[in-house]
Amino acid sequence: MSEFNQNNRLKFYCDNDRCIDCNGCAVACDEAHELPIGVRRRRVITLNEGVIGKEVSTSIACMHCEDAPCSLVCPVDCFVIRPDGIVLHDKEVCIGCGYCLYACPFGAPQFPREGVFGAKGSMDKCTMCAGGVNIQTNSEHEFEEYGQNRIAEGKVPVCAAMCSTKALLVGESDIIEQIYLDRVSARGYGVKNIKESPTWKIAYYTKDRV
Amino acid sequence: MRVILAFIACVMSAFALHLPDGTNQYDSNVWAAGRVENIKGYEGGMGEIFTFIQGNNYFAYGVVAIILAVIGAFILHFLIIGPKHFSHDGKKVYAFDIVERISHGIAALSWVILVPTGIIMMWGSSFGGGAFVNFMQDLHVIATVFFTISVFPMIFYWTIRMLPAVYDIRWMFIVGGYLSKKKRPVPAGKFNAGQKAWYWVAIPGGLVMIATGAAMYFLDFKAVPVADWLGISQIEVLRWSVIIHNILGIVCAVFFLVHIYMAAIAIHGAIWSMVNGYKEEEEVYVLHHYWYQELVSKNKIPVSDYEKVYDKLK
Ligand code: SF4
Ligand code: SF4
Repeated sequence: MSEFNQNNRLKFYCDNDRCIDCNGCAVACDEAHELPIGVRRRRVITLNEGVIGKEVSTSIACMHCEDAPCSLVCPVDCFVIRPDGIVLHDKEVCIGCGYCLYACPFGAPQFPREGVFGAKGSMDKCTMCAGGVNIQTNSEHEFEEYGQNRIAEGKVPVCAAMCSTKALLVGESDIIEQIYLDRVSARGYGVKNIKESPTWKIAYYTKDRV
Repeated sequence: MRVILAFIACVMSAFALHLPDGTNQYDSNVWAAGRVENIKGYEGGMGEIFTFIQGNNYFAYGVVAIILAVIGAFILHFLIIGPKHFSHDGKKVYAFDIVERISHGIAALSWVILVPTGIIMMWGSSFGGGAFVNFMQDLHVIATVFFTISVFPMIFYWTIRMLPAVYDIRWMFIVGGYLSKKKRPVPAGKFNAGQKAWYWVAIPGGLVMIATGAAMYFLDFKAVPVADWLGISQIEVLRWSVIIHNILGIVCAVFFLVHIYMAAIAIHGAIWSMVNGYKEEEEVYVLHHYWYQELVSKNKIPVSDYEKVYDKLK
C-alpha cells in the first residue's frame, strides 16, 4: 500500500465539461447502498439552468475535505479522517444534532427522519464507499448502517465507476490532477490548474478556512 | 385545568404527526438546488464563523466558565452577606393565582430539564455521545414543548407589570439591597428590576430559543418561508439559529441560576410564593415596597405594622 500524504489523498473531482446531468451517479449510489428514500448522498446540480453557454452541471457529495469542518464542530467527536483522506463518522456515537451540516460547505450531511416525533436520525453522508468506523469491515451490520464498503474490496466508489462520460473522477489527488490536465490540454480550453478550479478550491484548498 | 390538558394533548399530537420516512428532497432548500446557495455563501458567511466558534469549543467552555463564575459569586454573597430572612409568622399577601403558579411551575420544570440537557449536549464528547446524549436531546425537545405551553399565560399575566419603571434605575444602583445585610425598603413594584430583567430574558428570549431550536429540529422546512423573509439561504438561517441558540442559551442558563439562588437561598423561603401563592407581608413591604403602597391605596390590604419598623419610601 502506498504511503499517503497531501498529494495523494483520495479525492473526488467532477469535470464540469463532461457532466451531462444524467444523474447516474446519484442513482447508482442510492441503489448500491440501499439508501432510504429521504437520503441522497450524491446529487447532480445544474447551475445557470437554461442560460446558453453558461449552463453547467456538476455532481456533489461529501468532498472529504482536508480540514473537514464537519469534524471540527461535531460535539461528540464522531468523525475519523483516515490517513488516505476519507472522512468517516460513527453513527453509533452521532446524536443527529446537525452541526456538521451547518459547518459543511457542501450540504453533504443528510438526516433521515425516524421515530414517532419525526426526529432526526444519525447523520448519513457519502463514505467514498468505505463503510464506517468502529464496525466490522464488510459485515452485514456495516452494510445496514453505511452501505457497501467497496474500498475494502479494492473497488472504486460506485458513482465514479458507473459515470458514463467519466466526468466524475475519484482517486489519489495527483493522479486526478494529471488526468484532468491531460483532458484540458487535449480539448484546448478549461482551467489549466485544477487547484484553480472553484470546486477544488472550495473543497480542498482550504488552509485558511478555519 | 382541563383546557390546559387539552392544549398539551393538541401540541403533543401535532408533534406526533407521522412525517413520511422519506421526504422527497428533489426541491429541498438544503440539499437540492439550494445546495448551490450553501456553497456560494460558505466563504465569509456564517458557516465559517460557526465553524470557528464551535470548532474551538467556545460555547462549551464559555458556558462552564460563566456558570462557575456565577456560582463563585453566589458563594461569596452567601458567606459575606448571607440570605435575607423575613418573618414567616406575619400576615400574608396573595400574590399569584393558580394559572400563574401552574404556568410558572411548568416553565420551572421544563427549564430544570432544558438547561442541564443543553449543557450535556454542548459537552457531548465528554459524555461519550451515542444513546445517552441522544436521550438528553430527546428530553430537551420534550421539555421545549412544555415550556412553549407555559410561556403564553406568563406573557398574558405579567407583561404589563414587567415594563420598566423609573424607580428600577434606583433598584439597579443599589442592586436591590442584596449587597447589604440591612433590611430596608427597596424601590420595586410587584416585580423588581432583577425579576423584570429575568422576565425579558426568559420570555422573549425563550421564544427566540424555541424558534431557533425549532428551526434546527425541523431543519429543511418549507412551509414557513423564513429564509425568503430574511433574504438568506436556508442553511444560513440554520447557522444563525445555532449561534443565537447557543449564545442566548448561555445567557438563559446564567439568569436561571440567579433566579434559583434568589428564590431558594438568597431570600429565605421566597419559593413558597410560587407554590401556595402567598408572599410574606414583611417581604412585600421591604422588597416590593411600591406594590405594597399600591395594594394599600387600593384597599386590598390593611396598612402594615411594618410601617412602624421601617421607613416608607417616597
Ligand atoms: S464535504 Fe462536508 S461532510 Fe464532507 S468532509 Fe467536507 S465538511 Fe465534512
Ligand atoms: S449530526 Fe452527528 S456527526 Fe453531525 S455534528 Fe451532530 S453528532 Fe456529529
